[in-house]
Amino acid sequence: MNPQSPASLPADASWIVMKFGGTSVATLPRWQNIRELVASRRAEGARVLVVVSALTGITDALKQLCAQDDKGKRIEAAKAIAQRHYELLDHMQLAVPDALGDRLAELAKLADEGPALMGELAWSALVQAHGELMSSALGAAFLTHSGLPTQWVDARDCLSAIALPNQNERTKLLSAMVECKPDPALNARLAALGEVFITQGFIARESQGRTVLLGRGGSDTSASYFGALLKAQRVEIWTDVAGMFTANPRQVPSARLLQRLDYEEAQEIASTGAKVLHPRCLSPLREPRVPLLIKDTNRPELEGTLIGPEVREHAPSVKAISARKGITLVSMESVGMWQQVGFLADVFAQFKQHGLSVDLIGSAETNVTVSLDPTENLLDSDALAALAGDLAKVCRVKVIAPCAAITLVGRGMRSMLHTLSSVLAEFGQLRVHMISQSSNNLNLTFVVDENVVDELLPHLHELLITAGALRTDDSALFGPSWQALYGSGEVLPPAASWWRQERRAELLKLGAQATPRYVYHLPTVRQQARELKSLAAVDRLHYAVKANTHPAILKALAEEGFGFECVSPGELKAVMAVVPASAPLLFTPNFAPREDYAWALTTRATLSLDSLYQLEQWGELFRGREVVLRLDLGRGLGHHEKVRTGGSGSKFGLPVEQLDAFLRLADTHGVIVRGLHAHLGSGILDDGHWGEVYSQLASIAERIGSVTFLDIGGGLGVPSHPGEARLDIAALDKVLREVKAAYPHYQLWMEPGRYLVADAGVLLTRVTQTKGKGNGNIRYLGVDTGMNSLIRPALYDAWHEIVNLTRLDEPATALFQVVGPICESGDVLGTDRRLPEPQEGDVVLVAQAGAYGKVMSSPYNLRDEAEEIILE
Amino acid sequence: MTTPIQPRLTQVFRFVRCSYANGVAELVYAFDHGEELTERVSFPNAPPIPAHHQAAFDEALKLLHLIAGVSYYKAGVPPRIEVAGGPLDDATADLLDALYLHGLAEFAYRNGLDLRSRIAFPRGGAAKPEAKALSLPHRTLVPIGGGKDSLVAVEAIKSMGGEATAVWVGNSPLIAACAERTGLAMLNIQRELAPGLFELNRLGAWNGHIPVTAVNSAILVLAAILYGYDSIAFANERSASAATLEYEGQLVNHQWSKGYEFEQLLGDWLHAHVAADLDYCSLLRPYSELAVTRVFARLTPYFDVFSSCNRNFKLLGPKPADRWCGQCPKCHFVFLALAPFLAKPRLLSIFGRNLLDDENLAAGFDALLEYQDHKPFECVGEGAEARAAMVALSQRSEWQADALVERFRLEILPQLDEKELALEPWLAPSAEHRIPARLQPALAFFA
Repeated sequence: MNPQSPASLPADASWIVMKFGGTSVATLPRWQNIRELVASRRAEGARVLVVVSALTGITDALKQLCAQDDKGKRIEAAKAIAQRHYELLDHMQLAVPDALGDRLAELAKLADEGPALMGELAWSALVQAHGELMSSALGAAFLTHSGLPTQWVDARDCLSAIALPNQNERTKLLSAMVECKPDPALNARLAALGEVFITQGFIARESQGRTVLLGRGGSDTSASYFGALLKAQRVEIWTDVAGMFTANPRQVPSARLLQRLDYEEAQEIASTGAKVLHPRCLSPLREPRVPLLIKDTNRPELEGTLIGPEVREHAPSVKAISARKGITLVSMESVGMWQQVGFLADVFAQFKQHGLSVDLIGSAETNVTVSLDPTENLLDSDALAALAGDLAKVCRVKVIAPCAAITLVGRGMRSMLHTLSSVLAEFGQLRVHMISQSSNNLNLTFVVDENVVDELLPHLHELLITAGALRTDDSALFGPSWQALYGSGEVLPPAASWWRQERRAELLKLGAQATPRYVYHLPTVRQQARELKSLAAVDRLHYAVKANTHPAILKALAEEGFGFECVSPGELKAVMAVVPASAPLLFTPNFAPREDYAWALTTRATLSLDSLYQLEQWGELFRGREVVLRLDLGRGLGHHEKVRTGGSGSKFGLPVEQLDAFLRLADTHGVIVRGLHAHLGSGILDDGHWGEVYSQLASIAERIGSVTFLDIGGGLGVPSHPGEARLDIAALDKVLREVKAAYPHYQLWMEPGRYLVADAGVLLTRVTQTKGKGNGNIRYLGVDTGMNSLIRPALYDAWHEIVNLTRLDEPATALFQVVGPICESGDVLGTDRRLPEPQEGDVVLVAQAGAYGKVMSSPYNLRDEAEEIILE
Repeated sequence: MTTPIQPRLTQVFRFVRCSYANGVAELVYAFDHGEELTERVSFPNAPPIPAHHQAAFDEALKLLHLIAGVSYYKAGVPPRIEVAGGPLDDATADLLDALYLHGLAEFAYRNGLDLRSRIAFPRGGAAKPEAKALSLPHRTLVPIGGGKDSLVAVEAIKSMGGEATAVWVGNSPLIAACAERTGLAMLNIQRELAPGLFELNRLGAWNGHIPVTAVNSAILVLAAILYGYDSIAFANERSASAATLEYEGQLVNHQWSKGYEFEQLLGDWLHAHVAADLDYCSLLRPYSELAVTRVFARLTPYFDVFSSCNRNFKLLGPKPADRWCGQCPKCHFVFLALAPFLAKPRLLSIFGRNLLDDENLAAGFDALLEYQDHKPFECVGEGAEARAAMVALSQRSEWQADALVERFRLEILPQLDEKELALEPWLAPSAEHRIPARLQPALAFFA
């Protein structure tokens, strides 16, 4: 049938086990796909064993058949199941193969007999096993017919279930275990039969010869068992996604594909959330060191996730972050447990007695805290109340919920702790109820309040990358983002940088003349401004001038129709000196002295107030004025360490609970609250946040008759890392328009800063020298300015791209710590940067320096300040 | 266009006219000689008004005009009220004087106003003859508010096999989701405030709480006559009748229009003026908040859609925080009242957080308990109910160690009279209610 079929394989040819799930075997096109994939593996010179699940929906149909007491209905159900298979055969234009005919007849007989003869559980196991028996028989016929002679193998003849202690009849028959060691005899027996084989997932046979099921994740586990028995070259799990990701893509769309994992890491990730693989299917492969490859059936060109023995050559990295919600903690406090034999045994016996299973454990001398997963028993019975009652007799109990367990997974977690400081700082702002780390050193789990998780997780993922703990720069380990592979929206590629091509020669000349120099590219400012103007829902945009007060930039933005947001009289004066009198001004200071307000009242600026004090003490100053009230919407929005501006840990805004008092004071002093303002932080790349702030402000505004506009601040993120997606302006617009439709009577204002100017500016500096330390393992590249010109890396751990502009086209061969000349150990512009071998005098460019660069520079060490140059 | 007026300096509030056509009622008001303020109430798929219902309909429309005026009147609270059609009969004037005075009591308290000298509807008009029975169909309008109470009322009526329609005014997606979950027929009436009211607000109008349940009641009365329903069954508990505080000799009750006094006034007025067989009642009147929450704790299917939170969520999200702000007294009370009747992890999964383990909320819960503060201005249960619930929790090991329960146990409980703290008495019904005989079988649901 297939003339190109390669020569027959030697007897000792290695095996590849390929597993296909229910949706992959349910239609003709899918089977054609399987055929191609199997043929390609065969062409690699390997024997192929295909492991299949039942057709989609068949296992459920068989379960329903089992639950049916009425014989007539059982027979009907069996017929309907047979019909599904006939229909597929019909599409394949195949007659019913004998092997399938036999299975269908047996199923009909089992349906007719009912459980009485064999016993409920054994009968049920055998009935359910028919899903895989039938799909594999059908598959053998199809593959053979399409030119790939395929032997049907009964998995039950190969996989023997073992008896385990604590097993009851149910677990013995419905969630059995198989012990698998490489079996050369089986290998030889099959090799003698042919080259391509098909068998069933999910089923095995026990010592009395009865058919048993492998339980949840059973088909993947079968594939692993076969991989171990045959000591396969690899096991391939073909599914609907390319593999495991650094986080659950539904929570973190920017999660990256994990291309290489070791068994233990993969098992940990699977146990803490990833659904793509059942954790139990990895252990059979560990000892025989058989790698497992996860592949996307629809996108076979994607690399997938390869799970194998520990990989030593890579730098340690966090591999994934996950969150499990609905966790309940039980904290038990007592001096009784201190050095008292059997105390914990008694305590844990109570959990067993009330049917609650313990997951995480954290302990101190006088406290043990355990976590419970969300089960029906926990949620809808009085089990927990009863447990707490019993425990209260021996210790002080506290039930803490709802919690979420956030787990970082990666081999050698303890050796990475130093890289996690920004992540740990983030947890420092939250209520962390428990931290757990086991001796296998694979994970680090924080149990926190559940309500912070949705926003926290993407942020932590981001922080892990920024901190260099999750080394997405290592392309051997980390693949594309889920967004890039499967995202529904268009993935926005990072904008081409103006400095890389079109203005490079000019910059090199400027750099050769003198450094340090800030260079601003006005066309980029205008382009960013126009992009924001495309936000149809926004009625007025103000440029937050604190990001960069260069007159040319202010002028350019005034020409684009922007208003200006200033935080000090100095900024107001700088702006008023440059922009036309028609440009709207906002004055939004924080902890400013009374004179600042008094002076600002003499200008045309709209004032914002953010504390009771201002009205209590200076109320008459504002009489008859219209003001904006800056609110602090509280915790839960914007989890950003030093740049976050909401929550009681932040000095900004009036806490919502003081709103009524503020309004009463405003009324007393004839002050009219015309606008509400909230600002949730900086560098936010998720469009949903603004919708939340906006609708929250709007619902508050409804209680205040005088409000006509809402100012949702700025903080629009600018991606800095390679591979990071840009803020999706169209998606943001959609979110804002939805809220606007619900609250059409309020104007919407925004005040972006960094978004407008960050990419427009670069800092030019020159190489002064290099230095090696630690046997040359750590190399420093010195440049002629540092934190005195650009403090963001030192202040916020901000990541700026750094390139050697002189050698932009040379290969980046070595890792450098890029440092400045300031006498501070924190004077580091970038760590672990891969750059070409530098020479003294090379022009180095620090990108995204247009915002909070020059304006935050200082004369520290009395070094010359950077000059500013405008490019039209 | 007239020149803008200063709402707080106005002299007369005028009920200008009202009309109805094609499913839309237009209610027109004005201050002094200022611009007319027109509110529109739209009834979807409105049938033609049957001729023998016309008189009743006209009375109901007039009532709606008079009651809905409270939203506008409060912008200026001028010293005089004028009604274009001439003076009201005494019974009608009594109803409105009571509604405006008591319904705006909290508003007056908050703004430091005394309305007693101001609210006097023109009276002395001739009374019309007693209204007759209209043979209205035996079916019930059940207003849905998105909270637990109306859902309990719905299930109670379903339990007796009664025919009912879930009705709500306005476009809250939360209420729509709850109404949908009831599986009942649905009626969504739209109310469009006069745009001029926003302008008055901008010009510095008085602002504050209005008796919105009265406005909704009047809208439903019109709907009952229009579509044909013999009963309007609200879900106001016994505790709605309790005053929040006393201010300059006047009782202030945040939920006066949910109280029994208003229910009686309006119910009697309807029998006399609109239709002898149109019943207006609250199905939950015999019960305390705690008795209602105990029943609601059985209604698991509603747990992920309902919210009693005060914040107006115009956009729904999947998270508990998208339905429960956790800051307002309603959130606090419903959390506390449900706690004795639900497994703790289940309760916490509804709210997404544990409000009783948050020390920052101590003041809020103190207010509910009437400890060191008055009862908050919200539709929440009586202080004694809150205390009884808290006592019940303080005796349970899984709650005892939570910050606010522990605080209650150590600080507040010793100051309370033990005899008044039992939970059980709150679960018994009282005899005071106006539930018509036809709907009384629904009360078996509470047993």
